[in-house]
Amino acid sequence: MRHSEAELRAWMTAGLDGDAAAHAALLRALVPLLRSFFRRRMRGDEDIEDLVQETLIAIHTKRGTYDRDRPFTAWLYAVARYRLIDHLRRRRVSVPIEDVEAILVTEGFEEAVSARVDVDRLLSGLSPKQARAIRDTHLDGLSVAEAADSARIGQSDVKVSVHRGLKALAARLRGHE
Amino acid sequence: MMAPGDAERGTDRLIAALAADVPPIARRYIGRRIALGIAGGGVVSIGLVFALFGARPDFPQAMYGFSFWMKWAYTISLGLIAVAATVRLARPTGGSLRMFWPLALPILLLAALAIEEMARTPMRDWLSMWLGGSWNRCPWRVLLLAVPIFLGLLWAFRKLAPTDLRAAGAAAGLAAGAWAATIYCLHCDEFAAVFVLTWYTLGIVLAAALGALLGPRVLRW
Repeated sequence: MRHSEAELRAWMTAGLDGDAAAHAALLRALVPLLRSFFRRRMRGDEDIEDLVQETLIAIHTKRGTYDRDRPFTAWLYAVARYRLIDHLRRRRVSVPIEDVEAILVTEGFEEAVSARVDVDRLLSGLSPKQARAIRDTHLDGLSVAEAADSARIGQSDVKVSVHRGLKALAARLRGHE
Repeated sequence: MMAPGDAERGTDRLIAALAADVPPIARRYIGRRIALGIAGGGVVSIGLVFALFGARPDFPQAMYGFSFWMKWAYTISLGLIAVAATVRLARPTGGSLRMFWPLALPILLLAALAIEEMARTPMRDWLSMWLGGSWNRCPWRVLLLAVPIFLGLLWAFRKLAPTDLRAAGAAAGLAAGAWAATIYCLHCDEFAAVFVLTWYTLGIVLAAALGALLGPRVLRW
């Protein structure tokens, strides 16, 4: 069964406080997640269980590096990603591996990404025109033409505002983390 | 090769073994561990300063002077920024190289002070101000004193999880260099800001470069 970010995080923090049962529950819940994570990113099957076990050991021995105030799955997949890269490096294979945010989306943990930043707070840092253009086209699902009509500006103006606004947001997010 | 069923049973056994040992973890674990590593190495470096170079002869009085505190303010602020960056890079989620930007502040402040000092000094004395009496020894000594602190940090990193090993190595080297420079102030009686800006910084940069060079090898886990 699938566990949510909140559930995994609760087990993790309980484990950090010394609760062995919660720690065991966490590790058991992570096994299917890690198997599918590695299966998705490796060609052969034979090394997957090794990688799962190595990652479980890393999660256990490096658990002090998890910050209780941050998303758990981002930490989890950062560890798994490092184990995978290290494994491929040892076998001298090189493959591009997505960054942790992309992994979180692929593995169905977008909540851990979005939990980090409040959309409204982010948009409030942009100019009103850019914020409105992004809200209309990306959050409320309006077409560019509809957004242009409702804001009484030109369509190209909407497109430019969205483009510049997203670029500014991306820059800010990179600085933020 | 094991059959998949065996491997999966192995995973269950592994989890049982890991769950048998779950000590509680203190909050701010990374920071504590890094502070402990630096302190352990720092004690060795302090011993080295006294054993190899000796305390500066005017040590107690020097603590009332401006230049002593100018040097400490510089090296300690670099040390604190480097530790903050090291803590961030010790997490698997890492951080960006922008964390190193705050280093510009103490460097620029010291540069402003150096310019102000030189403006008050006749030009014929600039060279002796810049080279002091120990320019050719200072960077190497800072680098030497950084070694025990770097080793202390390597110990700290054994329980930590850096994923950008080069950046983490550079941050650890920078921290080791900055705290080594702080300790070297116990011996060094140079007083010009431009001296500190050049030769102390050079020693710290050497330590950071060495850390970046070694990071991918020594910080692997």
